[in-house]
Amino acid sequence: MKSGRLVLLGALAALCLSAFAQINQSPTGGRERLPWGLPPDFPVPRIPMDNPPTQAKFELGRHLFYDRRLSGNGKLACAGCHRQELAFSDGRPLSPGSTGENTTRNAQHLGNSAWHTTYTWANPVLTTLERQMGVPLFGEHPVEMGVNDQNRDRIIERLRKQPIYRHLFQAAYPGPAPAFSWQNVIASIATFQRGLVTGNSRFDRYQRGQETLSESEMRGKDLFFGEKAECFHCHGGFNFSDQIAHAGSRHVAASFHNTGLYNLDERGSYPEPSRGVYDITGQDEDMGRFRAPSLRNVEVTAPYMHDGSVRTLEEVLSIYAAGGRNIESGKSRGDGRKNPQKSELIGTIKLTTDEQRDIINFLKTLTDQDFLRNLAFADPWGTSPGRRKSSK
Amino acid sequence: MVMLSNKFGLRRPLFSFLLIASLSIVPALAQTQQERIEVGFRLMAGHSEVRCGKQTVPLGIGEVPSRLKDARLYIHDVRLLAADGSLHPLHLETNAWQYANLALLDFEDGSAGCDGDASLNAKVVGLAPKLVYTGIRFEIGAPVQGMVSGQAVSLNHSNVETAPAPLDVLAMSWNWQGGRKFVKLEFYPATGVQRESDKVKAWTWHLGSTGCQGNPARGDVVTCRQHNRRPVVINGFDPSRQILAFDVAALLARVDLSRDEGGAAGCMSAPDDPECKQINAWLDAEQERTKRGESSRLFRVIDGRGDIRR
Repeated sequence: MKSGRLVLLGALAALCLSAFAQINQSPTGGRERLPWGLPPDFPVPRIPMDNPPTQAKFELGRHLFYDRRLSGNGKLACAGCHRQELAFSDGRPLSPGSTGENTTRNAQHLGNSAWHTTYTWANPVLTTLERQMGVPLFGEHPVEMGVNDQNRDRIIERLRKQPIYRHLFQAAYPGPAPAFSWQNVIASIATFQRGLVTGNSRFDRYQRGQETLSESEMRGKDLFFGEKAECFHCHGGFNFSDQIAHAGSRHVAASFHNTGLYNLDERGSYPEPSRGVYDITGQDEDMGRFRAPSLRNVEVTAPYMHDGSVRTLEEVLSIYAAGGRNIESGKSRGDGRKNPQKSELIGTIKLTTDEQRDIINFLKTLTDQDFLRNLAFADPWGTSPGRRKSSK
Repeated sequence: MVMLSNKFGLRRPLFSFLLIASLSIVPALAQTQQERIEVGFRLMAGHSEVRCGKQTVPLGIGEVPSRLKDARLYIHDVRLLAADGSLHPLHLETNAWQYANLALLDFEDGSAGCDGDASLNAKVVGLAPKLVYTGIRFEIGAPVQGMVSGQAVSLNHSNVETAPAPLDVLAMSWNWQGGRKFVKLEFYPATGVQRESDKVKAWTWHLGSTGCQGNPARGDVVTCRQHNRRPVVINGFDPSRQILAFDVAALLARVDLSRDEGGAAGCMSAPDDPECKQINAWLDAEQERTKRGESSRLFRVIDGRGDIRR
């Protein structure tokens, strides 16, 4: 997806809104109605009927995504925790919000998030990017962007005062209804995120017959997709995740898995406040169950796991090779390998260190350099670091 | 019906006449005798009124002096009990606090460290037949759907950014659970809240539906494992001369606000949170009482209504 192509496809923004709204009703078609290109082997994502994608919304969303004015105290932009060079992750185990309070979970990368069945690490209730966005924007436990009843109108006024937004909002939301609204802010950022498509890694080009992989990478690929390592069960399909929904999906299941990272007691407990789907349902069988993240660009999205508690891919592989993580001392002490809620897919794997290295070499072929550098996804303000140092 | 017409075949014309007559008269009567009724509320801890400010009220085990941080709740489906035992829905007006028979009660004015803004709402207003009432029924929480002009509208799981007031309050939206906080009740205990490894300032009770699941194909919320709406039954209540006290001292009598045994500092509706278990056990017991026809103790009847706060 080159920026030139984006500009060209921008002309499609002229298509009438009702045409876009048909995307979900047309399982095989709809590709030509997206304002951005898709790799040929990617399905068309499902998109809420009330937020048809346009190039103008994408552009507005990009400006908002990189704008610190969007946070209550003006100190944090979405980009503060989602940096392009890290595939829109942030390199930290947990991330400080605008008021300095840490998130409870690791900031996820955003590549191909248009296709996720559910959003965040473990929440069956968040099924659209629009709904997910309420968590970082309005969340109080912890505060991330810090938008609340007291400042919500003031923030919209802040945006209205920027001459460039007058143009961007008008282009994205022409018509008599007021363009400056949180609803439109959210719809635009969601559209920008849907456009963050990553599908031009070395592995993608290998699959298209445009690239060869090394012997180690090929061995890693065979292990990854084979019954020995079984990685593909949870990290399969074009997005290397088993949570995939697209416009043609007839049955959409949201799977969550316990991979034996913790076992605080013999009952398999994970440490608070991040216990997986259990935090939503309170059901014992949901303890420690999280969404399998897409492994695209996994080379640059360290640290790993829902709490960022695993620093390197080498550590990740050794944990899976051992069938879970045994923590021998400290507050989180416990043998995750023996977690009674652990997925049946974890623990049967025996991998030599050579095999682990091969798998890591394969995983690194999923890095999409275009995605990490594409100017169409970059900071349009030029100067914003996404985060201003707190004065505290 | 078949048996009825066989047995009373000869009387059927008379029966039909009476049926038709009563059907046409009752709505006419009801329409002519509707009146505007206000039901007043007040936030109380035992016999003390609770407001934002420096003053504290003793709460829970150890009667920890506690200062108000937030007190807001949604109620819906208000019905009034007439002296003859009949129940009559109070059809709520639509205004900044009421929509689709749902109302937001707001007992905090944003002052002295309280969470919200200056506006308060301590009443529900609607139309019901002009009768002498002796009791009230309602439910705490927001239902999944309500009716507006004959159309079903989404309430609990609606989008906070597009929903009409009073569903547009960000503080009452509960994004990670996909719905609304039905109750947001928060205090600053003078002792702070001691947890296993730290101490925090605020003690919190958030009630709302949990274990909800979205439909990824449609992008909306479908089902919730625990709906957590709570019915309230009050007998011996006449809205024309009495108001209802939301008694937080009764609610929290078995909770120690100075310490937290696990989960959120207080209770955010996690079924395994020790403080939720205490609160839920009491609410369950109250619900059982009301099934036997007794009044809930979460709300208490207070005489006089001249000072309903606007």
